[in-house]
Amino acid sequence: MSFLQVIFRGLWRRPVRTGLTVLGIAIGIAAVVALVGMASGYEKSVVNQLDTIGIDIVVSNMQGGIMPKTFEETVRDGIASLPGVSEANATLMQMLSVEDAPMMVVYGREWNSFTWDGLEVLEGRLPRDSAEPAVVLGKLAAEVMGKKVGDPLQIEAVEFTVVGIVDGSSVLENGAINLALPRFQEASGYEERANFVNVRVTEGTDVAALCAAIEARHPGLRAVASGEVVGTSQGFRMARAMSWSTSLLAIIVGVLGVMNTMLMSVFERKHEIGVLLALGWQRARIMALILCESAAMGLLGGIVGVLLGAAVLAVLETTPYVRGFLEPDLGWALALRAVIIAMLVGVISGLYPAWRSSRLSPGLALQG
Amino acid sequence: MSGSAKPAGETLYEATGLTKEYDDGNVPALRGIDLRISRGEFVAIVGPSGCGKTTLLNMLGLLDRPTAGELRFRGRDLTTLGDPAAYRARDIGFIFQSFHLLPNFTVEENVQIPMFGLPGSPAARRARAVELLEAVGLSHRLAHLPVKLSGGERQRAAIARSLANRPSILLADEPTGNLDSKNSEHVMELLQRLRVEHDVTLVMVTHDRQLAAHATRLVEIRDGRVMADGLSP
Repeated sequence: MSFLQVIFRGLWRRPVRTGLTVLGIAIGIAAVVALVGMASGYEKSVVNQLDTIGIDIVVSNMQGGIMPKTFEETVRDGIASLPGVSEANATLMQMLSVEDAPMMVVYGREWNSFTWDGLEVLEGRLPRDSAEPAVVLGKLAAEVMGKKVGDPLQIEAVEFTVVGIVDGSSVLENGAINLALPRFQEASGYEERANFVNVRVTEGTDVAALCAAIEARHPGLRAVASGEVVGTSQGFRMARAMSWSTSLLAIIVGVLGVMNTMLMSVFERKHEIGVLLALGWQRARIMALILCESAAMGLLGGIVGVLLGAAVLAVLETTPYVRGFLEPDLGWALALRAVIIAMLVGVISGLYPAWRSSRLSPGLALQG
Repeated sequence: MSGSAKPAGETLYEATGLTKEYDDGNVPALRGIDLRISRGEFVAIVGPSGCGKTTLLNMLGLLDRPTAGELRFRGRDLTTLGDPAAYRARDIGFIFQSFHLLPNFTVEENVQIPMFGLPGSPAARRARAVELLEAVGLSHRLAHLPVKLSGGERQRAAIARSLANRPSILLADEPTGNLDSKNSEHVMELLQRLRVEHDVTLVMVTHDRQLAAHATRLVEIRDGRVMADGLSP
């Protein structure tokens, strides 16, 4: 018999309680995995989108919200005139309920701008010009909405025709509805307004200096190099903070749950611990036993939690609220981090019960 | 059965003025015990219930600490030991009235428990446990949980466990207290045989004079004091 067997025998003596504690940790860890996975997936989608389109600088008015505020479309002209700017175009992005879909990302893109370049036409075509009442759907958006080329599609009160289905190589692009900027401005009521200006710079341009120049010319707007969008965006920071703070709560609940279980276990096993001490077990070994039992519950909870979290993400990915604009990111790094957190939860929770167990007097413990 | 015994072997225990009080001195359990136990002896500690027999045994095994007095084992002061685990693991085998087998471990695993922390591989621990269980006639019960055993079998398993760490002293607290007379005799014969075979000193607490007659020396305790100490009749 090995020490490991002694540990698992200890856990097995109360299988229901051990199982429920493991489930408690697992649910906490699943919450960590799901929330962090969603936040990280969203960040990855945005980075991927910017890379695909080839945007060097994003200009927006991100004041306290997740969706940037709109500004005059003509801001684009002021930016385009700055030295070092190769191309600048305005985009209006909104999240809207479209027909039966509860939430869709809709892009109004300037006709003939480079933002259309990353869209590979799978079926049909792109709009002929900025006047055509036409939309192209990302392939996920088409699937979610059940639309094909030639179908009508109503955005707010305006009817459009689906003229193409595209692969945008990022989940945000694939889950979006795309149309010419003026058509979307008209449909959404944001005439001559945009909320992003996408900038490409000429070779050798100092991007940081150009960002500063843009902000100086347009006070209130923020110009961010595409590689820093995720790190500096208030929306992303909020999403990250929310996911980690919720995770922290889940962890605290996990710690209290395991500590309660281990304290009850130590209390119930006073007699057993007394026997072990009488038989020559060192107090350090008893402490190690309790800590290892606690850590083992954390490890089991972590593994089950990661699987549960992956299942939650898989289910979420198929829901209309998420599909098309969020691609949950559950990588090995997040899974490993979650399991390590769960084990730490186990170890931390076991410290006090282990200390209590080591203070037991064998004589008193044997008396019962 | 009176008068002072003159132990011939190496002195193992030497207690001087050993005192134990509970409840801030309101409940005296031992009142200045002087006792010497030598290697190879079979000492029976007898006396009525509540006289301090088990308390004395717990002191010898350091399951409890004396309030005052001195207790030496092979010349070393036990009262100053920080963690007595090493002393118990190396030198002591316990046999309890209630057996105290761990219910979630098989009989064979129970016998392995005292060997954790001692040199030897898991395979060596298992071999030693099997050997001891064969010696007490429980080779057919290796994989059984204690709950499946009779009282006599449980005590035999506990005796096998007490020898697992090759102790020099066996401390037995009413080892037949929960057994019928037939099983009691059987357990006593087993203890006698194993004591000789394994060359251990046996200190046994009992209130049963008949069982105490198996011992080579009787120590009678009353009200926490040694009333008589002598060779068994």
